[in-house]
Amino acid sequence: MAAPCINRFALIFRSISRTALSRCNRNGGRFMSTSTGDRNPPQDTSSGPGGSASSQTSNGGYNTQRTGQGAQYSDELDNSEDLVSEVEEEEMPEETEEEYQTKQAVLKASLPFVHQYGWTKKAIVAGAESLGMPSMVHGMFPRGGAELVFYFYEESNKELESFLKQKVTELKEKDEKIKTGPFIHDAIETRLRMIIPYIDKWPQAMAIQTLPQNAVQSWTNLSRVVDDIWFYAGDKSNDFNWYTKRGSLAAVYKSTEIYLIQDRSEDYTDTWNFLENRLEDVVSAGHLARNLQETNTVLSEGAKGFCVMTRNLLGMNNR
Amino acid sequence: MSFPLICQMSIRRISQRAKDEKTRKLLSRIIRVDQAGELGADRIYAGQIAVLGNTPVGPIIQEMKEQEQEHLETFNKLIVEKRVRPTALLPLWNIAGFALGAGTALLGKEGAMACTVAVESVIGEHYNSQIRDLMEDDPEKHKELIKKLSKFRDDELHHHDTGLEHDAEKAPMYDALSQVIKVGCIGAIWLSERI
Repeated sequence: MAAPCINRFALIFRSISRTALSRCNRNGGRFMSTSTGDRNPPQDTSSGPGGSASSQTSNGGYNTQRTGQGAQYSDELDNSEDLVSEVEEEEMPEETEEEYQTKQAVLKASLPFVHQYGWTKKAIVAGAESLGMPSMVHGMFPRGGAELVFYFYEESNKELESFLKQKVTELKEKDEKIKTGPFIHDAIETRLRMIIPYIDKWPQAMAIQTLPQNAVQSWTNLSRVVDDIWFYAGDKSNDFNWYTKRGSLAAVYKSTEIYLIQDRSEDYTDTWNFLENRLEDVVSAGHLARNLQETNTVLSEGAKGFCVMTRNLLGMNNR
Repeated sequence: MSFPLICQMSIRRISQRAKDEKTRKLLSRIIRVDQAGELGADRIYAGQIAVLGNTPVGPIIQEMKEQEQEHLETFNKLIVEKRVRPTALLPLWNIAGFALGAGTALLGKEGAMACTVAVESVIGEHYNSQIRDLMEDDPEKHKELIKKLSKFRDDELHHHDTGLEHDAEKAPMYDALSQVIKVGCIGAIWLSERI
Protein backbone atom coordinates (compact mmCIF):
# COMPACT_ATOMS: atom_id res chain seq x y z
CA MET A 1 0.00 0.00 0.00
CA ALA A 2 2.81 2.35 0.92
CA ALA A 3 4.77 2.56 -2.35
CA PRO A 4 1.99 3.44 -4.83
CA CYS A 5 0.43 5.79 -2.28
CA ILE A 6 3.68 7.66 -1.78
CA ASN A 7 4.27 7.75 -5.54
CA ARG A 8 0.91 9.36 -6.05
CA PHE A 9 1.52 11.94 -3.35
CA ALA A 10 4.94 12.69 -4.81
CA LEU A 11 3.40 13.22 -8.20
CA ILE A 12 0.80 15.59 -6.81
CA PHE A 13 3.44 17.52 -4.79
CA ARG A 14 5.56 17.90 -7.90
CA SER A 15 2.68 19.12 -9.96
CA ILE A 16 1.45 21.62 -7.42
CA SER A 17 4.95 22.86 -6.74
CA ARG A 18 5.57 23.13 -10.47
CA THR A 19 2.42 25.22 -10.82
CA ALA A 20 3.42 27.38 -7.87
CA LEU A 21 6.99 27.67 -9.12
CA SER A 22 5.83 28.79 -12.53
CA ARG A 23 3.73 31.47 -10.87
CA CYS A 24 6.83 32.37 -8.84
CA ASN A 25 8.90 32.79 -11.98
CA ARG A 26 6.26 34.90 -13.66
CA ASN A 27 5.67 37.24 -10.77
CA GLY A 28 9.29 37.57 -9.70
CA GLY A 29 9.59 39.01 -6.23
CA ARG A 30 6.00 40.18 -5.96
CA PHE A 31 4.60 36.75 -5.28
CA MET A 32 7.02 35.93 -2.50
CA SER A 33 6.35 39.15 -0.64
CA THR A 34 2.57 38.80 -0.69
CA SER A 35 2.56 35.31 0.70
CA THR A 36 4.77 35.88 3.74
CA GLY A 37 2.18 37.82 5.70
CA ASP A 38 -0.66 35.44 4.99
CA ARG A 39 0.54 32.18 6.37
CA ASN A 40 -2.01 31.77 9.13
CA PRO A 41 -5.64 31.55 8.17
CA PRO A 42 -6.40 29.68 4.96
CA GLN A 43 -8.14 32.02 2.51
CA ASP A 44 -11.41 30.59 1.29
CA THR A 45 -10.59 31.03 -2.40
CA SER A 46 -8.34 28.05 -2.58
CA SER A 47 -8.06 25.79 0.34
CA GLY A 48 -11.40 24.36 1.43
CA PRO A 49 -9.79 21.08 2.32
CA GLY A 50 -6.58 22.79 3.41
CA GLY A 51 -7.72 22.99 7.02
CA SER A 52 -8.20 19.26 7.24
CA ALA A 53 -4.72 18.50 5.92
CA SER A 54 -2.85 15.78 7.71
CA SER A 55 0.82 16.13 8.59
CA GLN A 56 1.76 14.29 5.40
CA THR A 57 -0.12 16.73 3.22
CA SER A 58 0.54 19.92 5.15
CA ASN A 59 3.29 20.92 2.76
CA GLY A 60 0.92 20.46 -0.14
CA GLY A 61 -1.74 22.47 1.69
CA TYR A 62 0.62 25.38 2.07
CA ASN A 63 1.45 25.22 -1.62
CA THR A 64 -2.23 25.24 -2.45
CA GLN A 65 -2.78 28.34 -0.41
CA ARG A 66 0.03 30.17 -2.09
CA THR A 67 -1.24 29.12 -5.48
CA GLY A 68 -4.71 30.35 -4.63
CA GLN A 69 -3.56 33.78 -3.57
CA GLY A 70 -0.93 34.08 -6.21
CA ALA A 71 -3.47 33.11 -8.81
CA GLN A 72 -5.37 36.34 -8.39
CA TYR A 73 -2.26 38.44 -8.89
CA SER A 74 -0.79 36.33 -11.61
CA ASP A 75 -3.98 36.09 -13.68
CA GLU A 76 -3.47 39.56 -15.10
CA LEU A 77 0.12 38.72 -15.90
CA ASP A 78 -1.02 35.44 -17.45
CA ASN A 79 -3.41 37.13 -19.85
CA SER A 80 -0.83 39.48 -21.29
CA GLU A 81 1.69 36.68 -21.54
CA ASP A 82 -0.73 34.36 -23.27
CA LEU A 83 -1.17 36.93 -26.00
CA VAL A 84 2.57 37.38 -26.55
CA SER A 85 4.36 34.89 -28.79
CA GLU A 86 4.89 31.34 -27.71
CA VAL A 87 8.64 31.78 -27.23
CA GLU A 88 8.14 32.49 -23.53
CA GLU A 89 6.63 29.08 -22.83
CA GLU A 90 10.08 27.56 -23.19
CA GLU A 91 11.19 29.35 -20.05
CA MET A 92 8.61 27.52 -17.89
CA PRO A 93 9.40 24.07 -16.54
CA GLU A 94 7.66 21.57 -18.77
CA GLU A 95 4.83 19.46 -17.44
CA THR A 96 5.77 15.81 -17.32
CA GLU A 97 3.74 13.21 -19.10
CA GLU A 98 2.66 11.66 -15.79
CA GLU A 99 1.33 14.95 -14.49
CA TYR A 100 -0.61 15.44 -17.67
CA GLN A 101 -2.13 11.96 -17.45
CA THR A 102 -3.04 12.41 -13.81
CA LYS A 103 -4.75 15.71 -14.52
CA GLN A 104 -6.69 14.19 -17.39
CA ALA A 105 -7.78 11.28 -15.19
CA VAL A 106 -8.99 13.59 -12.43
CA LEU A 107 -10.91 15.81 -14.83
CA LYS A 108 -12.51 12.82 -16.50
CA ALA A 109 -13.64 11.50 -13.13
CA SER A 110 -15.00 14.95 -12.21
CA LEU A 111 -17.38 15.22 -15.15
CA PRO A 112 -20.20 13.14 -13.59
CA PHE A 113 -20.19 15.51 -10.58
CA VAL A 114 -20.92 18.53 -12.76
CA HIS A 115 -24.67 18.01 -12.47
CA GLN A 116 -24.37 18.26 -8.71
CA TYR A 117 -21.72 20.96 -8.21
CA GLY A 118 -21.58 22.76 -11.56
CA TRP A 119 -18.30 23.53 -13.33
CA THR A 120 -16.41 24.35 -10.14
CA LYS A 121 -13.51 23.29 -7.97
CA LYS A 122 -15.94 21.28 -5.84
CA ALA A 123 -16.64 19.03 -8.80
CA ILE A 124 -12.90 18.52 -9.33
CA VAL A 125 -12.42 17.70 -5.65
CA ALA A 126 -15.32 15.24 -5.77
CA GLY A 127 -13.84 13.64 -8.87
CA ALA A 128 -10.42 13.34 -7.28
CA GLU A 129 -11.86 11.81 -4.15
CA SER A 130 -13.79 9.28 -6.21
CA LEU A 131 -10.43 8.14 -7.58
CA GLY A 132 -9.02 7.86 -4.10
CA MET A 133 -6.80 10.92 -4.39
CA PRO A 134 -6.44 13.54 -1.67
CA SER A 135 -8.70 16.54 -2.11
CA MET A 136 -5.75 18.95 -2.24
CA VAL A 137 -5.33 17.76 -5.83
CA HIS A 138 -7.37 20.78 -6.88
CA GLY A 139 -4.12 22.75 -6.49
CA MET A 140 -3.08 21.23 -9.80
CA PHE A 141 -5.89 23.21 -11.41
CA PRO A 142 -5.29 26.89 -10.76
CA ARG A 143 -8.11 27.98 -13.05
CA GLY A 144 -10.64 25.91 -11.12
CA GLY A 145 -13.91 25.19 -12.86
CA ALA A 146 -12.64 26.62 -16.12
CA GLU A 147 -10.17 23.73 -16.37
CA LEU A 148 -13.06 21.32 -16.28
CA VAL A 149 -14.90 23.25 -18.98
CA PHE A 150 -11.81 23.28 -21.21
CA TYR A 151 -11.16 19.59 -20.61
CA PHE A 152 -14.71 18.76 -21.66
CA TYR A 153 -14.48 21.07 -24.67
CA GLU A 154 -11.19 19.57 -25.81
CA GLU A 155 -12.41 16.00 -25.36
CA SER A 156 -15.52 16.81 -27.39
CA ASN A 157 -13.32 18.36 -30.07
CA LYS A 158 -11.25 15.18 -30.27
CA GLU A 159 -14.43 13.13 -30.56
CA LEU A 160 -15.65 15.42 -33.32
CA GLU A 161 -12.36 15.05 -35.17
CA SER A 162 -12.52 11.25 -35.11
CA PHE A 163 -16.17 11.42 -36.26
CA LEU A 164 -15.17 13.65 -39.18
CA LYS A 165 -12.21 11.45 -40.12
CA GLN A 166 -14.45 8.41 -40.11
CA LYS A 167 -17.05 10.14 -42.25
CA VAL A 168 -14.45 11.19 -44.80
CA THR A 169 -13.03 7.66 -45.06
CA GLU A 170 -16.54 6.25 -45.48
CA LEU A 171 -17.30 8.66 -48.30
CA LYS A 172 -13.97 7.86 -49.92
CA GLU A 173 -14.64 4.14 -49.81
CA LYS A 174 -18.01 4.65 -51.46
CA ASP A 175 -16.21 6.91 -53.93
CA GLU A 176 -18.67 9.72 -53.29
CA LYS A 177 -17.91 13.42 -53.28
CA ILE A 178 -18.37 15.37 -50.08
CA LYS A 179 -21.45 17.58 -50.22
CA THR A 180 -20.32 20.56 -48.22
CA GLY A 181 -23.71 21.76 -46.94
CA PRO A 182 -25.02 18.52 -45.41
CA PHE A 183 -21.52 17.60 -44.22
CA ILE A 184 -21.18 20.82 -42.24
CA HIS A 185 -24.73 20.50 -40.90
CA ASP A 186 -24.01 16.98 -39.63
CA ALA A 187 -20.71 18.05 -38.14
CA ILE A 188 -22.22 20.91 -36.15
CA GLU A 189 -25.17 18.80 -35.06
CA THR A 190 -22.85 16.05 -33.84
CA ARG A 191 -20.69 18.50 -31.94
CA LEU A 192 -23.65 20.24 -30.29
CA ARG A 193 -25.25 16.95 -29.32
CA MET A 194 -22.18 16.28 -27.16
CA ILE A 195 -23.27 19.19 -24.99
CA ILE A 196 -26.76 17.79 -24.44
CA PRO A 197 -25.82 15.48 -21.51
CA TYR A 198 -24.55 18.57 -19.64
CA ILE A 199 -27.12 20.99 -20.91
CA ASP A 200 -28.50 21.72 -17.43
CA LYS A 201 -25.19 23.33 -16.43
CA TRP A 202 -24.03 24.47 -19.87
CA PRO A 203 -25.08 28.12 -19.43
CA GLN A 204 -22.66 28.27 -16.50
CA ALA A 205 -19.92 26.84 -18.71
CA MET A 206 -20.63 29.45 -21.38
CA ALA A 207 -20.44 32.20 -18.77
CA ILE A 208 -17.10 30.87 -17.50
CA GLN A 209 -15.77 30.90 -21.04
CA THR A 210 -16.58 34.57 -21.49
CA LEU A 211 -14.51 35.65 -18.47
CA PRO A 212 -11.48 37.66 -19.64
CA GLN A 213 -8.93 35.25 -18.19
CA ASN A 214 -10.54 32.38 -20.07
CA ALA A 215 -11.43 34.22 -23.24
CA VAL A 216 -8.26 33.40 -25.15
CA GLN A 217 -8.47 29.67 -24.48
CA SER A 218 -12.15 29.50 -25.36
CA TRP A 219 -11.48 31.40 -28.58
CA THR A 220 -8.76 28.85 -29.40
CA ASN A 221 -11.17 25.98 -28.70
CA LEU A 222 -13.87 27.45 -30.92
CA SER A 223 -11.43 28.05 -33.77
CA ARG A 224 -10.30 24.44 -33.41
CA VAL A 225 -13.88 23.28 -33.98
CA VAL A 226 -14.46 25.34 -37.11
CA ASP A 227 -11.00 24.65 -38.51
CA ASP A 228 -11.52 20.89 -38.14
CA ILE A 229 -14.95 21.02 -39.75
CA TRP A 230 -13.75 23.02 -42.75
CA PHE A 231 -10.59 20.95 -43.17
CA TYR A 232 -12.49 17.66 -43.30
CA ALA A 233 -15.15 19.23 -45.52
CA GLY A 234 -12.36 19.71 -48.04
CA ASP A 235 -11.59 23.40 -47.77
CA LYS A 236 -8.54 24.31 -49.82
CA SER A 237 -8.49 28.07 -49.39
CA ASN A 238 -5.13 29.71 -48.77
CA ASP A 239 -6.01 33.40 -48.77
CA PHE A 240 -8.39 35.65 -46.87
CA ASN A 241 -11.28 33.28 -47.63
CA TRP A 242 -9.76 31.05 -44.97
CA TYR A 243 -10.86 33.63 -42.41
CA THR A 244 -14.27 34.47 -43.84
CA LYS A 245 -15.22 30.79 -44.03
CA ARG A 246 -14.19 30.05 -40.47
CA GLY A 247 -15.59 33.30 -39.11
CA SER A 248 -19.01 32.69 -40.60
CA LEU A 249 -19.06 29.08 -39.39
CA ALA A 250 -18.03 30.17 -35.89
CA ALA A 251 -20.92 32.65 -35.85
CA VAL A 252 -23.34 29.91 -36.94
CA TYR A 253 -22.00 27.50 -34.32
CA LYS A 254 -22.16 30.03 -31.49
CA SER A 255 -25.68 31.23 -32.31
CA THR A 256 -26.92 27.64 -32.60
CA GLU A 257 -25.31 26.79 -29.26
CA ILE A 258 -27.15 29.68 -27.62
CA TYR A 259 -30.40 28.57 -29.24
CA LEU A 260 -29.79 25.02 -28.06
CA ILE A 261 -29.60 25.85 -24.37
CA GLN A 262 -33.09 27.38 -24.37
CA ASP A 263 -34.70 24.91 -26.76
CA ARG A 264 -37.57 22.83 -25.30
CA SER A 265 -38.65 20.95 -28.40
CA GLU A 266 -38.65 17.19 -28.83
CA ASP A 267 -35.09 15.98 -29.50
CA TYR A 268 -34.15 19.64 -30.09
CA THR A 269 -35.59 19.62 -33.63
CA ASP A 270 -36.11 23.40 -33.45
CA THR A 271 -32.37 23.81 -32.95
CA TRP A 272 -31.52 21.77 -36.03
CA ASN A 273 -33.99 23.80 -38.07
CA PHE A 274 -32.40 26.98 -36.75
CA LEU A 275 -29.00 25.59 -37.76
CA GLU A 276 -30.26 24.82 -41.26
CA ASN A 277 -31.57 28.37 -41.66
CA ARG A 278 -28.29 29.91 -40.47
CA LEU A 279 -26.29 27.79 -42.89
CA GLU A 280 -28.59 28.86 -45.72
CA ASP A 281 -27.99 32.48 -44.74
CA VAL A 282 -24.24 31.96 -45.07
CA VAL A 283 -24.62 30.36 -48.49
CA SER A 284 -26.88 33.14 -49.75
CA ALA A 285 -24.44 35.73 -48.40
CA GLY A 286 -21.73 34.08 -50.48
CA HIS A 287 -23.94 34.22 -53.56
CA LEU A 288 -24.72 37.86 -52.87
CA ALA A 289 -21.02 38.68 -52.64
CA ARG A 290 -20.36 36.99 -55.95
CA ASN A 291 -23.31 38.74 -57.59
CA LEU A 292 -22.09 42.09 -56.34
CA GLN A 293 -18.65 41.45 -57.76
CA GLU A 294 -20.06 40.47 -61.16
CA THR A 295 -22.40 43.46 -61.18
CA ASN A 296 -19.45 45.67 -60.35
CA THR A 297 -17.47 44.30 -63.28
CA VAL A 298 -20.38 44.74 -65.70
CA LEU A 299 -21.07 48.28 -64.52
CA SER A 300 -17.45 49.37 -64.75
CA GLU A 301 -17.12 47.89 -68.25
CA GLY A 302 -20.30 49.73 -69.20
CA ALA A 303 -18.99 53.01 -67.80
CA LYS A 304 -15.70 52.63 -69.70
CA GLY A 305 -17.59 51.91 -72.92
CA PHE A 306 -19.72 55.00 -72.40
CA CYS A 307 -16.60 57.16 -71.87
CA VAL A 308 -15.03 55.86 -75.09
CA MET A 309 -18.25 56.57 -76.99
CA THR A 310 -18.39 60.13 -75.64
CA ARG A 311 -14.79 60.77 -76.62
CA ASN A 312 -15.46 59.46 -80.10
CA LEU A 313 -18.53 61.67 -80.47
CA LEU A 314 -16.64 64.75 -79.31
CA GLY A 315 -13.84 64.03 -81.74
CA MET A 316 -11.32 63.58 -78.90
CA ASN A 317 -10.25 60.20 -80.16
CA ASN A 318 -6.80 59.40 -81.53
CA ARG A 319 -7.84 58.10 -84.93
CA MET B 1 12.37 18.94 2.12
CA SER B 2 13.01 22.38 0.66
CA PHE B 3 10.74 23.80 -1.98
CA PRO B 4 13.28 24.16 -4.81
CA LEU B 5 14.69 20.73 -4.11
CA ILE B 6 11.33 19.13 -4.75
CA CYS B 7 11.23 20.79 -8.16
CA GLN B 8 14.77 19.80 -9.05
CA MET B 9 14.05 16.24 -8.07
CA SER B 10 11.13 16.03 -10.47
CA ILE B 11 12.17 14.38 -13.67
CA ARG B 12 11.61 16.94 -16.42
CA ARG B 13 10.93 14.83 -19.45
CA ILE B 14 9.81 17.04 -22.27
CA SER B 15 7.06 14.83 -23.57
CA GLN B 16 6.72 13.95 -27.20
CA ARG B 17 3.50 15.91 -27.17
CA ALA B 18 5.26 19.12 -26.24
CA LYS B 19 7.99 18.54 -28.84
CA ASP B 20 5.45 17.98 -31.61
CA GLU B 21 3.63 21.11 -30.56
CA LYS B 22 6.86 23.12 -30.76
CA THR B 23 7.67 21.80 -34.23
CA ARG B 24 4.15 22.47 -35.45
CA LYS B 25 4.32 26.07 -34.24
CA LEU B 26 7.71 26.58 -35.88
CA LEU B 27 6.53 25.15 -39.20
CA SER B 28 3.31 27.11 -39.27
CA ARG B 29 5.16 30.33 -38.49
CA ILE B 30 7.66 29.71 -41.28
CA ILE B 31 5.12 28.78 -43.93
CA ARG B 32 2.79 31.61 -43.00
CA VAL B 33 5.40 34.33 -43.25
CA ASP B 34 6.92 32.88 -46.43
CA GLN B 35 3.56 32.85 -48.18
CA ALA B 36 3.02 36.46 -47.17
CA GLY B 37 6.53 37.36 -48.31
CA GLU B 38 6.15 35.78 -51.73
CA LEU B 39 2.78 37.45 -52.25
CA GLY B 40 4.32 40.78 -51.28
CA ALA B 41 7.25 40.28 -53.66
CA ASP B 42 4.92 39.27 -56.48
CA ARG B 43 2.85 42.40 -55.96
CA ILE B 44 5.95 44.63 -55.79
CA TYR B 45 7.05 43.37 -59.20
CA ALA B 46 3.49 43.81 -60.50
CA GLY B 47 3.58 47.44 -59.37
CA GLN B 48 6.94 47.97 -61.04
CA ILE B 49 5.68 46.44 -64.29
CA ALA B 50 2.60 48.68 -64.22
CA VAL B 51 4.95 51.68 -64.45
CA LEU B 52 8.00 50.31 -66.26
CA GLY B 53 6.39 47.54 -68.31
CA ASN B 54 7.10 49.16 -71.68
CA THR B 55 10.70 50.11 -70.97
CA PRO B 56 13.75 47.96 -71.78
CA VAL B 57 13.91 46.77 -68.16
CA GLY B 58 10.32 45.43 -68.35
CA PRO B 59 11.18 41.89 -69.50
CA ILE B 60 13.75 41.50 -66.71
CA ILE B 61 11.22 42.45 -64.06
CA GLN B 62 8.68 40.18 -65.74
CA GLU B 63 11.05 37.24 -65.46
CA MET B 64 11.67 37.92 -61.78
CA LYS B 65 7.92 38.22 -61.22
CA GLU B 66 7.32 34.82 -62.79
CA GLN B 67 9.85 33.22 -60.47
CA GLU B 68 8.14 34.81 -57.46
CA GLN B 69 4.85 33.44 -58.74
CA GLU B 70 6.31 29.93 -58.73
CA HIS B 71 7.47 30.42 -55.15
CA LEU B 72 4.02 31.69 -54.17
CA GLU B 73 2.33 28.63 -55.66
CA THR B 74 4.62 26.36 -53.70
CA PHE B 75 3.71 28.05 -50.45
CA ASN B 76 0.01 28.11 -51.31
CA LYS B 77 0.18 24.33 -51.66
CA LEU B 78 2.12 23.98 -48.40
CA ILE B 79 -0.48 26.04 -46.54
CA VAL B 80 -3.18 23.57 -47.51
CA GLU B 81 -0.98 20.49 -47.03
CA LYS B 82 0.29 21.37 -43.58
CA ARG B 83 -2.97 22.96 -42.45
CA VAL B 84 -1.35 26.29 -41.70
CA ARG B 85 -3.34 29.44 -41.03
CA PRO B 86 -2.48 32.10 -43.63
CA THR B 87 -1.75 35.55 -42.25
CA ALA B 88 -4.77 37.79 -41.80
CA LEU B 89 -2.81 40.70 -43.27
CA LEU B 90 -2.70 39.25 -46.80
CA PRO B 91 -5.00 41.92 -48.28
CA LEU B 92 -2.82 44.58 -46.67
CA TRP B 93 0.40 43.16 -48.15
CA ASN B 94 -1.37 42.90 -51.49
CA ILE B 95 -2.05 46.63 -51.61
CA ALA B 96 1.15 47.73 -49.85
CA GLY B 97 3.34 45.64 -52.17
CA PHE B 98 1.77 47.07 -55.30
CA ALA B 99 2.06 50.60 -53.90
CA LEU B 100 5.72 50.10 -53.02
CA GLY B 101 6.54 48.66 -56.43
CA ALA B 102 4.73 51.39 -58.33
CA GLY B 103 6.06 54.11 -56.05
CA THR B 104 9.71 53.14 -56.43
CA ALA B 105 9.26 52.55 -60.16
CA LEU B 106 8.07 56.15 -60.49
CA LEU B 107 11.55 57.15 -59.29
CA GLY B 108 12.83 55.56 -62.46
CA LYS B 109 14.44 52.27 -63.33
CA GLU B 110 17.16 52.82 -60.72
CA GLY B 111 14.55 53.32 -58.02
CA ALA B 112 12.80 50.09 -58.92
CA MET B 113 16.10 48.21 -58.85
CA ALA B 114 17.01 49.76 -55.49
CA CYS B 115 13.72 48.52 -54.07
CA THR B 116 14.41 45.05 -55.45
CA VAL B 117 17.90 44.99 -53.91
CA ALA B 118 16.65 46.10 -50.49
CA VAL B 119 13.75 43.63 -50.38
CA GLU B 120 15.76 40.70 -51.69
CA SER B 121 18.59 41.22 -49.22
CA VAL B 122 16.14 41.14 -46.29
CA ILE B 123 14.43 38.07 -47.71
CA GLY B 124 17.75 36.30 -48.26
CA GLU B 125 18.75 36.78 -44.62
CA HIS B 126 15.27 35.77 -43.53
CA TYR B 127 15.36 32.49 -45.47
CA ASN B 128 18.78 31.77 -43.99
CA SER B 129 17.56 32.18 -40.44
CA GLN B 130 14.56 29.97 -41.20
CA ILE B 131 16.82 27.25 -42.60
CA ARG B 132 18.92 27.51 -39.45
CA ASP B 133 15.83 27.15 -37.24
CA LEU B 134 14.65 24.11 -39.16
CA MET B 135 18.03 22.43 -38.98
CA GLU B 136 18.17 23.12 -35.26
CA ASP B 137 14.78 21.52 -34.77
CA ASP B 138 15.09 18.35 -36.86
CA PRO B 139 17.17 18.27 -40.05
CA GLU B 140 15.86 14.87 -41.10
CA LYS B 141 12.18 15.57 -40.77
CA HIS B 142 12.37 18.93 -42.53
CA LYS B 143 14.74 17.85 -45.32
CA GLU B 144 12.21 18.57 -48.10
CA LEU B 145 11.34 21.98 -46.80
CA ILE B 146 14.97 22.92 -46.17
CA LYS B 147 15.80 22.01 -49.76
CA LYS B 148 12.95 24.15 -51.09
CA LEU B 149 13.88 27.12 -48.91
CA SER B 150 17.52 26.85 -49.99
CA LYS B 151 16.53 26.93 -53.63
CA PHE B 152 14.25 29.90 -53.10
CA ARG B 153 16.95 31.73 -51.16
CA ASP B 154 19.32 31.23 -54.09
CA ASP B 155 16.69 32.61 -56.48
CA GLU B 156 16.17 35.66 -54.30
CA LEU B 157 19.90 36.33 -54.09
CA HIS B 158 20.03 36.07 -57.87
CA HIS B 159 17.34 38.76 -58.04
CA HIS B 160 19.40 40.83 -55.62
CA ASP B 161 22.43 40.60 -57.89
CA THR B 162 20.32 41.39 -60.97
CA GLY B 163 19.12 44.54 -59.23
CA LEU B 164 22.68 45.61 -58.49
CA GLU B 165 23.72 44.96 -62.09
CA HIS B 166 21.02 47.31 -63.35
CA ASP B 167 22.29 50.41 -61.53
CA ALA B 168 20.34 50.12 -58.29
CA GLU B 169 22.97 52.15 -56.46
CA LYS B 170 22.47 55.09 -58.81
CA ALA B 171 18.94 55.59 -57.49
CA PRO B 172 18.08 58.93 -55.86
CA MET B 173 18.64 58.83 -52.06
CA TYR B 174 19.75 55.21 -52.40
CA ASP B 175 20.91 54.78 -48.80
CA ALA B 176 17.84 56.30 -47.19
CA LEU B 177 15.47 54.52 -49.56
CA SER B 178 17.18 51.21 -49.02
CA GLN B 179 17.13 51.61 -45.24
CA VAL B 180 13.44 52.54 -45.11
CA ILE B 181 12.44 49.61 -47.30
CA LYS B 182 14.53 47.17 -45.25
CA VAL B 183 12.97 48.33 -41.99
CA GLY B 184 9.51 48.08 -43.54
CA CYS B 185 10.20 44.53 -44.69
CA ILE B 186 11.47 43.43 -41.30
CA GLY B 187 8.37 44.91 -39.67
CA ALA B 188 6.13 43.14 -42.17
CA ILE B 189 7.89 39.84 -41.51
CA TRP B 190 7.51 40.26 -37.73
CA LEU B 191 3.80 41.01 -38.07
CA SER B 192 3.06 38.19 -40.49
CA GLU B 193 4.72 35.63 -38.22
CA ARG B 194 2.28 36.50 -35.46
CA ILE B 195 -0.88 37.78 -37.07
